[in-house]
Amino acid sequence: MAVSTDFLRSLPYLANLAADDVERVRRDILELSFDKDEFVLLEGEPCRGLYVVKSGRIRIFKSSPEGREHVLLVAGAGESFNDVPVFDDGPNPASGTALEPSVVYLIPKKTALALVADCPAALGIIRVFAARLRRLATVVSDLSFRSVVSRIAKLLLEMAVAEQAGTPIPRLTQDEMAARVGSVRDVVGRALRTLEKAGAIEIRGQRLVVTQPQKLLMLVEDYDKSRMP
Amino acid sequence: MVMKASGGEHRARCCVAIPEIDTSKCISCGNCVEECPVGIVTLVDGKAVITNPEACSYCTECESFCPSAAIRCPIEIVLGAPES
Repeated sequence: MAVSTDFLRSLPYLANLAADDVERVRRDILELSFDKDEFVLLEGEPCRGLYVVKSGRIRIFKSSPEGREHVLLVAGAGESFNDVPVFDDGPNPASGTALEPSVVYLIPKKTALALVADCPAALGIIRVFAARLRRLATVVSDLSFRSVVSRIAKLLLEMAVAEQAGTPIPRLTQDEMAARVGSVRDVVGRALRTLEKAGAIEIRGQRLVVTQPQKLLMLVEDYDKSRMP
Repeated sequence: MVMKASGGEHRARCCVAIPEIDTSKCISCGNCVEECPVGIVTLVDGKAVITNPEACSYCTECESFCPSAAIRCPIEIVLGAPES
């Protein structure tokens, strides 16, 4: 069944559009039905577009490699999801499944982008916001799924690699490292000692040398195994 | 005033370093004097001073016990070969 113009106009994204633009969206939009627990989209897959719930509820969540989940949003009728990759050109930042039999509209990425194509400034601003949202979603999943050791390993690896590439990297105190990974100094100190004992880093005075980056990478990729007892 | 062992790139590349002390934040509590394992921090005119920089092991104890964040022990993070 074709989507109604009134429904489209009720969406914040489309409320202020000219009639022609709404009609273009109405022509391009796809209606998709999902059974309970069926996947609507997968984290890491290429973005098909912006989704709007017509009926039912869609659970949007991030997953750890071990299958643990963190729900970011439960989208009900009239709510959108998967906004970020439409505008920052990245993959889907999270997965979505239907909590009950649901119908969603898919506004193809190309159609959604066309709505702001004549305003490059707006598109630029949206891209910045989208990138920041994606970054925040990553921070949320890091805090949910990673141990402090894994978060510190990720921070050290990113900074050491950037330093090697010639990017100016600030020197950090242990308090500043703790602030960056959402922890406290004592715990960071223990994490650094754990990494040193594992042979991944050497602390030489004011220099922290990443001697085995592949060991840090293993901790970054293997979240739960780095959990401290 | 922030006191450092020496400045710039040289300090970052060599292994002799001492904590940075912002004397304007120092409240003369003496924690750093008590906690320094090699006993090289003293109070001079009510402000923390490292008297023997060569003996500093950069253990960061003084930083961790400083209640006014007057002492900083920043760490440079780099890739490198194991020391053997």
